[in-house]
Amino acid sequence: MKLTRSVVLIALRLITLAAACTALTSQADGYADISQLVKNNKFAEALTQVDSQLVSKPTDPQLRFLKGVIQRNLGKQNEAVATFTKLTQDYPELPEPYNNLAVLYASQGQYDKARAALEMAIRTNPSYATAHENMGDVYARLASQAYNKALQLDSSNHALPPKLALIREVFKPNLANPKPAAVSSTATATVTPAPATPVTVNKPAPTSSATPAKPVTAISAPVAVAKPIPTPLESDASKEVEAAVMAWAQAWSDKNMETYLAAYSRNFATPNNQPRSAWEKDRRDRITGKSRISVKVSELRIQVTGNEAIAKFRQSYKGGKLSVSSSKTLQLKKQGSHWLISRESTGS
Amino acid sequence: MPRLIQNLLTFGLLAFSLGLGTGQAWGKSAQHGKISHHVKATKAAAKPVRHVTFNGPNAGLAEARLIEIYQLIGKADTARALLKAEQLVTEFPTFALAQLVYGDLLSARSRPLNRFGDVPAEQLKNVSSALNELQDESRMRLKALRERPPAGMVPAEFVQLSRYNKHAIAVDADRSRLYLFENRGNGLSLVADYYISVGKLGIEKMVEGDQRTPLGIYFVTSKLDAKNLKDFYGAGALPINYPNELDLKRGKTGGGIWLHGSPPGEFSRRPLASDGCVALANPDLEQIMRTVEVRSTPVLISRSLKWVPPQSMQPRFQEFKTHLDAWLKAKSAGDVNQFSQFYAPDFNNGKTLTEWLPKLRNQVAAVQGRQLAIKDLSLLHWVDTSETMVVTFGEVAAGQRSGSTLRQYWSRQQNQWKIIHEGVIG
Repeated sequence: MKLTRSVVLIALRLITLAAACTALTSQADGYADISQLVKNNKFAEALTQVDSQLVSKPTDPQLRFLKGVIQRNLGKQNEAVATFTKLTQDYPELPEPYNNLAVLYASQGQYDKARAALEMAIRTNPSYATAHENMGDVYARLASQAYNKALQLDSSNHALPPKLALIREVFKPNLANPKPAAVSSTATATVTPAPATPVTVNKPAPTSSATPAKPVTAISAPVAVAKPIPTPLESDASKEVEAAVMAWAQAWSDKNMETYLAAYSRNFATPNNQPRSAWEKDRRDRITGKSRISVKVSELRIQVTGNEAIAKFRQSYKGGKLSVSSSKTLQLKKQGSHWLISRESTGS
Repeated sequence: MPRLIQNLLTFGLLAFSLGLGTGQAWGKSAQHGKISHHVKATKAAAKPVRHVTFNGPNAGLAEARLIEIYQLIGKADTARALLKAEQLVTEFPTFALAQLVYGDLLSARSRPLNRFGDVPAEQLKNVSSALNELQDESRMRLKALRERPPAGMVPAEFVQLSRYNKHAIAVDADRSRLYLFENRGNGLSLVADYYISVGKLGIEKMVEGDQRTPLGIYFVTSKLDAKNLKDFYGAGALPINYPNELDLKRGKTGGGIWLHGSPPGEFSRRPLASDGCVALANPDLEQIMRTVEVRSTPVLISRSLKWVPPQSMQPRFQEFKTHLDAWLKAKSAGDVNQFSQFYAPDFNNGKTLTEWLPKLRNQVAAVQGRQLAIKDLSLLHWVDTSETMVVTFGEVAAGQRSGSTLRQYWSRQQNQWKIIHEGVIG
């Protein structure tokens, strides 16, 4: 039951130069020299150079990242941990320092910390997180099929295909990627595959954001945009809608499926027009499958027109290992004394 | 994603079932210096199942691939393990154990695994026994591959085989394993071994319908082609002569004990699955069907095989041969009173001893005092509550080119070998 260190190092891959190579081409000369030294295993020399450059640029993330890599290669595990930890604090949007932190923790046998660091690496980009969760779902479904065959169960019980969470919200621009505005408007395949945008800011970009436009648009789905309805706010009705939205979020958090599903109108437009029963099962599987869920609603804005209402808000979702904040729009319709959800969409 | 942690868990669990680095003694290793040496060697090599290639290209191919996957998991190479598992289940979709491992490897991508065969609780409802059986199958396969027969050794029952016994089969019920031997000029050599299933209620068949597999020394009596059989028996069947003469003497009942294949939809069956037969995967059974001969292939079914160096059986052979030669000499001399001493009072081959002796007298008279010789002797030694020798040979009178093939069952009674059954088999 023992795993040797070498196996750990095989299992986790240290990112050594990714950040250095994908950004800051204009300033790369200084880094390139150091990178070259690292490549040639001249770590002591590389460290001297990094330190001398850091004198004039003490906060430079690129240099600090390289320093962490060098420290690790010199066997200065604790110093490397400190370097990468500080980087994650100063630049929480960068996945690479988290990844390398995970490698270090794993090599020390601190797997809980390694796991947490890798989760943070994924969370640096909500699209990664969603894709990752979807991947987990797909693996789980495939596993379920294999188990059915292993146990010779009737697989029709589990025949429903998984409904993957579409990434509706295009990756928000971070400091390293200043111009994603064009990305969110069109979601067609006709987007010209632009070459990697030259990044000019003085900060390393995550590998993926160096080629921002195409991959992200490819997975963003057209979002049902709520119609603008110019009407005066009906405050009583608005209170009722607010209560309905909060109750919906609470039921979701509580994994109270009965109340949660009852919040949706019988005419609710299910995603991709899937049958109501399939959608319900999918929701049940997704929600009850999580150990804990927290759904928080903030910045709630409500527009009411007669017996219809639109609620827009920021939804902070935490479930299992995933934590996503996204904007959400619910269309509600009053049926009897209840406001019930007739349409649900994510994104702004 | 904390793949590493999953790797660790998977590795730990499977390594546990593989017993990596925890070599287990084969049988009573203390008796055989060579065996414990073998175990040590395996341990040191840290490649506990390297013998898999021993099976050759066809035999147990699917199993060898499954073991390769286990080894990859052992090396924390789950990516390649997953790929190989996917290929394996694509080729053998009804290989339930492979599906289970594939399921685990997929699960490990989305959650930590807590055990081998970590089927989610809701999916496991009502079928947890099925999972346990698959885990048993895995354990059995690994056990048989980890605890290899010591090189050059043979089951202690095979005291002597004649040139007509071109092949021999030995089943080790405790390991869910069938060993196939070839009898070359220089003795028996193991050519392949296969995972097998025995009766639902285990072994030591006593009565009809007890769902147990008999223990004893048998022979293949015929070959049954798949096209004449129900789908249930898969690729075909090799019936054996249960109940044999010893079984009959002990009042055992039942019949129709076969080595057979697996039904469609089941690549292999769980360790305890049959109604008393020995069931194999179809490719394995086909291989055996192609290899062995009817009538002359002994099938030893043992609780747990004891492997010994062939030369260690010489004393037993010599000791028994003395009795056999004495019997033959007495028979050649034609003195019924003398050679009747070799027969047990409870002798019975359909006739009691008093009915049989006059027959023997006639036989002897026909030989007219010519010296009898034994050709192509095979001795199979069976020990349970008593000690039995299943003896097959050609009895040829001097001056004759051929004689008849006799089979005798000798029983050791008060330290004397006595014949309890004899008959001409060809």
